Amino acid sequence: MEDIFGQLSQQAINGITIGGVYALIAIGYTMVYGVLSMLNFAHGELYMMGGFTGWWVLQFFSSKHQPVMNAAILISLMILAAMAVSAILGLVIERVAYRPLRKAPRMNLLLSSLGVSIFIQNFILYTQGAKVKVFQVSNLIPEGLRTFHVGDTVISFMRIFVIGVCFVLMLLLTFVIKKTNIGKSIRATAQDIEAAAFMGIDTDRIIVIVFLIGSALGGAAGILVSLLFTQVDYYVGFQAGLKGFTAAVLGGIGSIPGAMAGGLLLGLCEAMAVTFFPSAYKDVVAFIILIAVLIFRPQGLMGEKIREKV
Amino acid sequence: MKKLFVLLFVALLLSLGQTAMANDVSKGIKVGNAGSFTGDAAAPCMEIYNSAQIAIDEWNAKGGIKGQKIEQVMGDDALDPAQGITVARKFTSDDLIYGVVGPPVSHIAQASLNIYGEAGLACITTAASKPELTESPFKHFFRVNARNDAHGLNCALFIKNNLKAKKVAVLNEKVAYCENLAQKTIEELKKLGIKDIMNDTIVAGSKDYSAVLTKVKAYKPDVLFFVATAAPDQAIGVRQAKELGIKAVFFGTEGARDKKDFIEASEGAAEGAYVYHFSPDIYAIKEAAPYVKAYETKYGSLSGFGPPAYEAMNILLTAIDQAAKDGDISRKEVMTNLSAVKNYKGILGFPVSFDAKGDLLGGATYIFKVKGKEFEQVAILTGK
Repeated sequence: MEDIFGQLSQQAINGITIGGVYALIAIGYTMVYGVLSMLNFAHGELYMMGGFTGWWVLQFFSSKHQPVMNAAILISLMILAAMAVSAILGLVIERVAYRPLRKAPRMNLLLSSLGVSIFIQNFILYTQGAKVKVFQVSNLIPEGLRTFHVGDTVISFMRIFVIGVCFVLMLLLTFVIKKTNIGKSIRATAQDIEAAAFMGIDTDRIIVIVFLIGSALGGAAGILVSLLFTQVDYYVGFQAGLKGFTAAVLGGIGSIPGAMAGGLLLGLCEAMAVTFFPSAYKDVVAFIILIAVLIFRPQGLMGEKIREKV
Repeated sequence: MKKLFVLLFVALLLSLGQTAMANDVSKGIKVGNAGSFTGDAAAPCMEIYNSAQIAIDEWNAKGGIKGQKIEQVMGDDALDPAQGITVARKFTSDDLIYGVVGPPVSHIAQASLNIYGEAGLACITTAASKPELTESPFKHFFRVNARNDAHGLNCALFIKNNLKAKKVAVLNEKVAYCENLAQKTIEELKKLGIKDIMNDTIVAGSKDYSAVLTKVKAYKPDVLFFVATAAPDQAIGVRQAKELGIKAVFFGTEGARDKKDFIEASEGAAEGAYVYHFSPDIYAIKEAAPYVKAYETKYGSLSGFGPPAYEAMNILLTAIDQAAKDGDISRKEVMTNLSAVKNYKGILGFPVSFDAKGDLLGGATYIFKVKGKEFEQVAILTGK
């Protein structure tokens, strides 16, 4: 019995780490859905680009796998660069692939986003190759700091770091949405884009900001996971995008606190499921939970019931 | 009536062609080498061809077979089964070809199996590991490499005898190769008396195995057998196992014998881990030194594919030599001689014997241990 508890606390740590990352990805889906009512399937690729950008920065500032500068600065630089590149890419995608279709049926936007996703994936495959890129991270963390033991439970420095960054980013976002004028405008646009425009809000600008924030968080998720699992390849965005989307639906698509809760819940459920079922059923359990939530609460955990606009 | 005679005559001629009567040795002796000499597998296949050529050169330098110089014929299938069939037709219709080395690619060997089989032309493959190849009614197909299922037995033996494990965790990817290997290993472990076995699955490319490894940690095994196809996944496995403080010995599969994507990528976590592989560290075998020297001076650096080809060609030529002793030679004689090969001592580090199916008796599985930045060969297992 003690074994099970020991295992569950370890799984909780595994689950919260990956759940925090799912939450960051889910926020991107949910914010875009909030203002445009569209599913941005290219979002997973922004996550992948975040990982790759971090790797490029790491390569640029190391020689023979040894970083040439202070590790803390280098990691910050990797995260900032990943967020910046993903944000810019998000803007480009919005401008090129979505804005021309703003008035078109929703299905066209959806197809356009799938096309963008396939394009980015293959572009990276073509230019970077199919081989996995490895992050030599052990040189970034001093030997004594790598893992901590609490009883039987082990937690690595990287996990603490990833959980920390995820929560800081989420708090920051909550502050922006709740307390600032931009946040107010985003909420207004999400509620009713036409009415917001009548009130003098530049909705085009708000949409750009939404893409900026969502993409940056996606990029941050990508580099955090890459630092944690030390590998990135051109295909990681697909799986991550699927999980982020699931988390967003679970929490109630359109709701930012919902995306955060959905991500954490999904991560925890997956990790716990492995304790009791064969690990191949991990995704099955995650999706059964999703289906159950949608049957009993179609609007998701924290979503609002949307009345059909006439 | 006349037509009937003509038909009968033609049928007679055809059947004569099929049985391929014994030839006089003085007409010449040729051997085929079927492989994918152009396309994606060109590099390993050329290594096979060149290694076989070294064996032939050595025989010719000693005077050939009954004074006849041996000639190697190249048959390129370009990694295409259809062209593999063309190569097989070309080889089988050449009366002076008495044996073939190859094909090294499993699905091409499978496509051309019946053509060689019907012509009774002996083939020794050096790399095709699909079990079905030696399960057909034909008896012409031999291999000097182990079948996939032989590795399962050998890995179980290694876990039990060398690693002295009592409790084993087996994690495998959900693909045919990994699942078969894992099942076979578990089956053999049970036969060896190890009952404490945990088996779970992993998903290739998911980059996070910490949840399933947490489960492994709670099970407290002596050995973790990590069955995955690609080296990067195994690097993550060994790394996360270490991070979680799993004490078990990490035992990886053949894909992990990759210095860059396994040893380097795991940043020290792989130290002391074991992996199995189908081909030996040829530099560790004393008997192979002259061959290695000959190859490297003539063709450059050597990977794992050459040595079995050198061995296979020597075995084939020995069988042809025995068949040619009485002055005439037939394909059937060569085939019979090959199936009688017992304890042939060559350069692979263990005596080669074929079983009734034409498979390498006991198979051969090479075990490597990670030491610093290198793989060090620590054991050869042949089913005993």
